[in-house]
Amino acid sequence: MTFNIDLIYSILASTLRSAVPLILASMGGCFSMRSGVSDLGLEGMMLAGSFFSVVGSWLTGNPWMGLLFGAIFGIIFSMLHAVMHVSYKVNASISGMSVNLLAAAVTPLLVTLIFGLSGKSATVVAFKKPNWVWLNKIPVVGRILGTQNALFYVTIVLVILSWIFLYKTTLGLRMRMVSENPQAASTVGLNVKAYKYFGVAMSGCLAGLGGAYLSLGQMNLFVEGMTSGRGYIAVVINAFGKYNPIGALGGSLFFGFFDSLQTIFQSVLPSQVVMMTPYVFTLLIITFGIRGGRGPAGVGKHVED
Amino acid sequence: MEDKLKSVKRLGIKNSLINSFFALVFSLLLGMIFIIASGYSPIDSYKAIFGVSLGTLKGFALSLSQATPIMFTGLSFALAYRVRMINTGAEGQLYAGAIAAAIIGAYVTNVPSVVHIPLAFGVAFIAGGFAALMVALAKVYFGANEIIMTLMLNQIIILFTSFLANGPLKPPGSGVGQTERILDSAKLTKIIPQTQLTTAIFLVIAVALILQFILDKTVFGYEIKITGNNLKAAQVAGINVARTYITTFALSGAVAGLGGAAMVLGVNYRFIEGFSSSYGFAGISIAALAAYSPAAVILSAFLIGILKSGTITLNRITSIPVEFVEVIQVLIIIFVAAPRLIRSILDTFKKIKNKLAKIQPKVSKEQTINGGESE
Repeated sequence: MTFNIDLIYSILASTLRSAVPLILASMGGCFSMRSGVSDLGLEGMMLAGSFFSVVGSWLTGNPWMGLLFGAIFGIIFSMLHAVMHVSYKVNASISGMSVNLLAAAVTPLLVTLIFGLSGKSATVVAFKKPNWVWLNKIPVVGRILGTQNALFYVTIVLVILSWIFLYKTTLGLRMRMVSENPQAASTVGLNVKAYKYFGVAMSGCLAGLGGAYLSLGQMNLFVEGMTSGRGYIAVVINAFGKYNPIGALGGSLFFGFFDSLQTIFQSVLPSQVVMMTPYVFTLLIITFGIRGGRGPAGVGKHVED
Repeated sequence: MEDKLKSVKRLGIKNSLINSFFALVFSLLLGMIFIIASGYSPIDSYKAIFGVSLGTLKGFALSLSQATPIMFTGLSFALAYRVRMINTGAEGQLYAGAIAAAIIGAYVTNVPSVVHIPLAFGVAFIAGGFAALMVALAKVYFGANEIIMTLMLNQIIILFTSFLANGPLKPPGSGVGQTERILDSAKLTKIIPQTQLTTAIFLVIAVALILQFILDKTVFGYEIKITGNNLKAAQVAGINVARTYITTFALSGAVAGLGGAAMVLGVNYRFIEGFSSSYGFAGISIAALAAYSPAAVILSAFLIGILKSGTITLNRITSIPVEFVEVIQVLIIIFVAAPRLIRSILDTFKKIKNKLAKIQPKVSKEQTINGGESE
C-alpha cells in the first residue's frame, strides 16, 4: 500500500461517512441526558429508524419521506422508553434496554411480514450525492465533502441548532435544569415530565435519522441488525463528549476515523485490532479521565407527584 | 414480630408472582397479534407450540437445551440486580468464558473427562468473572458507569475473540472464524442422544440453587440484599459495600462465563465467531420474569425455552417466525418492569366491565354504581 494524498482524502471522506449516524444518535443522547433520562435506548431507536425509513421510501418512492418515517418511528419507539421510565418509574436502564430488544425482535418480523423476505428488505430509492459542480471545484474540501450526500449537511446544521437550543435558549436552560435537579425545577414551576418527554422524543427523532442514514444514506435497503451496536457506541460517545452536541460531534469523528482506518488497513492489520482501539482508548478515558462518564446529577431521578 | 416479617415477605413474593403471571399472560395475548399477522390461528398455534414442546421427548429436550444458555445469563443478570447493578455485559462475559473453555478443551491433552470438563468450566468461570471484575473495580474506585463500561467491554471482548478465531487460533483450512475442535474428553455427555440436551443443565440448576442458598441463608447474601435495598442502611450497619459490589458483580460475570463454556463444551464443540444469538441480553427478560430470584430463573428460562422450541419445531411446517418469541420476551420485560402498568390495565378492564354493566337494565345499574363507589 502506498501512502499518497488520495489515501488521505479517502480516509477523511470515509471518516465523515462513518461519523454521520454516530453524530445524529449521540446528539439524540444529549437531548435525552440533558432532560434527565438515560439514553440507553438509542440502539433500538436507531434500528427502528433504519427499518421504517426504508418502509417509507418503499411506500412513497421518495427518500425524504423515508427520512420522515425514520424520524417518526424513532419517536414512537422512544415513547416506549419515556412512558415506562417517566410515567411508570421503571428503572431507565431496563426501559432503555427493552426498546433495544423490542426493535431487534420486531424489525426482522416486520421484514418478513412486509417484504416477504428474510434477513433484508427489498431495495428502495436512496439518497444520492448532490453532485454540486462548484463544490467539487474547491481543491481540498471538494475532494472530501463532494462525496457526502445531503444528509451530511443536514447533520451539520442539526449539530449547530442543537447546541444553540441547549446552551443559548431559555428552554434549553430549563431542560438542563430538569436534568441537574428535577426537584428544584419542579419547585420553580417547570413541568418536569413534559421536559423529559420532549428530551426523549428528540433523542428518538435524531437516533431515527441516524438509522435512516445507515439504510438510505450508505445503502439502499434494510439489513437485519444493521445498526450493529452503533447505538451503544453513541451512548459511549455521549459520555465521552460530556453530553454536549459539540462533544458528540468530536467523539463521533474519533470513532468514525478508526472505522475508516479499519477498512483501509484491512490488508495490513487484522480489522478487529483496529476496531478495538477506540473502545480501549475510551474505556481508559472514561475510567481515569472524565469522572467515570457520569451524566448530569439528576438523571434517573423522579419528582414526587 | 417474626411472624409479621414472614407474612410481609410472603406478601412480597405473592405480589411478584401475581405480577409475573399477568405479565406473561398479557405478553402471550399481545404475541397473538403477530401470529394473526402471519396468517395463523393464535389459539391453535399456542396449543401446537406447547403440545410439541411438552408432549414429545425431542421437543422437551429442545426446550431445555434452548433454555440452558439463557438460564446462565438470566442468573447472571438477576444476581447483579440484587445489588442494583445492571450487568449488560453478560454477552461479553459469555464470549470470554466460551473462548477460555474452547482453548482448554482443544489444547489441554491427555487428561480424563473428570478433570478436563471441570478445568474448562473453571477457567471459563474465571474468564467471565475477570471481565466483570474490571468493570466493578472501575465503578467502585473511579465511579464509572457500569452500563457504559460493560457495553464497551462487550465490543472489545467480541472483537478480540473474533480476532483470535480468525487469526492465531483458526484451524488450517477453515473458511469461517472458529477455533480448533475440542477433544472428546472435554465434551459434555448428552442426556438424550441426538439432542443438544447435555449435563450442562444439571450444572446450571446447581448454580441456581447455590446462589439461592447464598442469598437466603448466608451472611454474604444478607449483605447483598441490604446493599441492594438500602445502600445508606448498609453503610450505617458497617457492611463493606465496596467489597459486596465487587464480589457480587464478579460472581455475576463468572456465571455468564459458565454459560459460554456450556455452549462450547455441549453444543458447538468449538468457539464459533458470533455464536451467541444475544443470549446475554435475553437474560434480562428471564431475570425480570423470575423477579430476580435465582431458583425462579430456571423456571422462567424453561418457559421461554418451551416457546422457542415450539416455534423452531413448528417453523418446519408453518411459518410463524422464531423472532416472535423474542418479541414475547421483550413484552414480558416491559410488563414485569412496570407493575403499575399491569394494575392500570386491570383497572381499565374493570372500568369497561362496569360500563358494560351500566348499559344493562336499570336494576343492575344501581348496584354497579354502588359497587363502583365502595371501591
